[in-house]
Amino acid sequence: MAAELLIIDDDLELTKMLQDFLAPDHLDLTACHTGEDGLETLHSREFDLLILDFMLPGMSGLDVLKELRQRSDIPVIMLTARGEDIDRILGLEFGADDYLAKPFNPRELVARIKAILRRVQPSHGSDSKHVLGPLELDARTRTVTANGEPIRLTGTEFEILSCMIARPGAVVTRELLSEQALGRRLLPYDRSIDTHISNLRGKLERAGVSDPAIISQRGVGYRLLPKE
Amino acid sequence: MRSLLVRIFLAFWLIIAVTIGVAAISGYSYSERLREALENFEVSDSLLEASESLRSGGRKGLEKWLRNLPRTSPMNIYVIDQRGRDLLERRVPFSIVQAMRRFGDRDERSRRPPPDSDTLRPARPLTRLIDADGRVYTFFVVPNRGKSSWFNERTASYFLIFAIFLSAGVSYLLARAISNPISRFREATNAISAGNFDTRVTALVGERKDEIGHLAQDFDSMADELQRAWQQKTELARNVSHELRSPLARLRVALELARRKAGDLPEFSKMDNETEMLDELIGQILDYSKLEARSDELPARFNLTDLVERIVEDVRYECRASGFDGVKVELAIESVLNIDGFAPSLGSAIENVVRNAVRYSPADGVVSIALRQQASLAIIEVTDQGSGVEASELDSLFEPFFRSRSTLDDKSMVGSGLGLAIARRAVQKNGGVISARNIGGGGLCVTIELPVSA
Repeated sequence: MAAELLIIDDDLELTKMLQDFLAPDHLDLTACHTGEDGLETLHSREFDLLILDFMLPGMSGLDVLKELRQRSDIPVIMLTARGEDIDRILGLEFGADDYLAKPFNPRELVARIKAILRRVQPSHGSDSKHVLGPLELDARTRTVTANGEPIRLTGTEFEILSCMIARPGAVVTRELLSEQALGRRLLPYDRSIDTHISNLRGKLERAGVSDPAIISQRGVGYRLLPKE
Repeated sequence: MRSLLVRIFLAFWLIIAVTIGVAAISGYSYSERLREALENFEVSDSLLEASESLRSGGRKGLEKWLRNLPRTSPMNIYVIDQRGRDLLERRVPFSIVQAMRRFGDRDERSRRPPPDSDTLRPARPLTRLIDADGRVYTFFVVPNRGKSSWFNERTASYFLIFAIFLSAGVSYLLARAISNPISRFREATNAISAGNFDTRVTALVGERKDEIGHLAQDFDSMADELQRAWQQKTELARNVSHELRSPLARLRVALELARRKAGDLPEFSKMDNETEMLDELIGQILDYSKLEARSDELPARFNLTDLVERIVEDVRYECRASGFDGVKVELAIESVLNIDGFAPSLGSAIENVVRNAVRYSPADGVVSIALRQQASLAIIEVTDQGSGVEASELDSLFEPFFRSRSTLDDKSMVGSGLGLAIARRAVQKNGGVISARNIGGGGLCVTIELPVSA
């Protein structure tokens, strides 16, 4: 699985070593060291995935993400400082697909990258289309519409919705959602699924979808429940 | 503080009251002596002239003498004829009228006036002169009270009482003027000890130009220094931690690159573990210094029961994933409670306590967590079945980097040593108290008490 990746991180030494580390997996890493530079590069070239450090000098990682999300749904893995929960929550809220606390285990980074890339590959299954109420989800084109109007979702949100729409009314555990949508096991103290869910709810609400609704099952998970 | 007020007040008042008393007594005796002196000397001097005038000029001569007496004298001399009239036709004071009425009385002493009616006491005739025709002129000397005739001994005693009360009021105000700023200073000192480093005492005592004002300014510049030192300390901890992470991140990648080149040596796993531990430690130092730093964050209401449930769920997961899979984490919830506070920091407090309990549990131990309400307090008790802590160490348990002597040589027990310190800081930030005690039969019980929102 060859892929073009971009990393925005001000640590030159680190990005160089990561390039070496990712190369054997056919992950071609391009490095930018400022937010402005990164946005420009993203504008001029197509990438499969962005690794975004949140602690950038000048334009912050969050600002880069905000600006990027106005025009692109490219999968984003953000690198946050461990303990800076606010960064993580904000990052997920503004549309990052996953996060890693820095310093990270590089093998973990590879696993996350692969999970996300695998996920965004269009699937060719027979049940690629789901309809529930006004919602229509097409797994092949990776599009979601409500009453015919398209809803823009990030990759992770799309995966969460498709995971739940395939099991209408049934409880989907957070563990399963994590494995399906994030491509990794649920970690303790990991609230990213809940943040993605709340983003997804917001987007559905703004699109005027109140039925089906995403219902929380305390301590277990979520379900997509059509009314009666 | 109260007692200082009372002491200064009583001291001032006592001094003022004694001063008033002494002044009143000495003033009174002085005025008595003065009166006597006047009666004895000044008046008796002029009597010689009067007698001379009477002899040479008769009644007219006496009237002339009387008219020519200086007006400024403190003594008025009345000369009363046999018909009870003053020679100058002045209004005769009542005391003289009284004296004249009992003129015939031989025994004056038998009709002494009652002691309290000083002003009504009959005047004592000073002397009598008899002219050539045998007419008797009685001389009275009455103190000239002038305009202050209302000032007599009774009003003087009212004055005295009034002065004592006034001095009480003044003493109280004076004492308060001293003790009040001291209370303000005390409030400021307490606030600073409690971590409110932006407390300034000038704002409390007001802008003053006196010694207290100077002290307040000095106090405030001391507080400035303290605040700066504190900020530097917390910022240093944060910056150092942040800066340590970049090399650590590079180290981990370099380590993996080396592993790939050299093959999977057991030393690499060891190094991996150590970097992870270093990372955790840095994270905890950051957490701790963040809790030390004051923030402008406002407390928000949240559901404590939910928070505890979620943490227990996470810790259970962590137990399964990290080799503590024999440890059972049990949760007993008695009430659903809401708290006004900071959910993330409180969460990390509870999490640290529970993780600590798991870490010190025997392999098949049970960690029980209980959440209940007692009066207006939410009580969280985390009990393990470990070996507990020596009684003398119970208080130091919450100090940063404290490690119980009993676990010093047990490498498997190595944590960062900041978990419980973070817990205490975080609980304090939420207005609560954390404490630990040994329970019978082995094990440690950590109790977190938090005020429940109304």
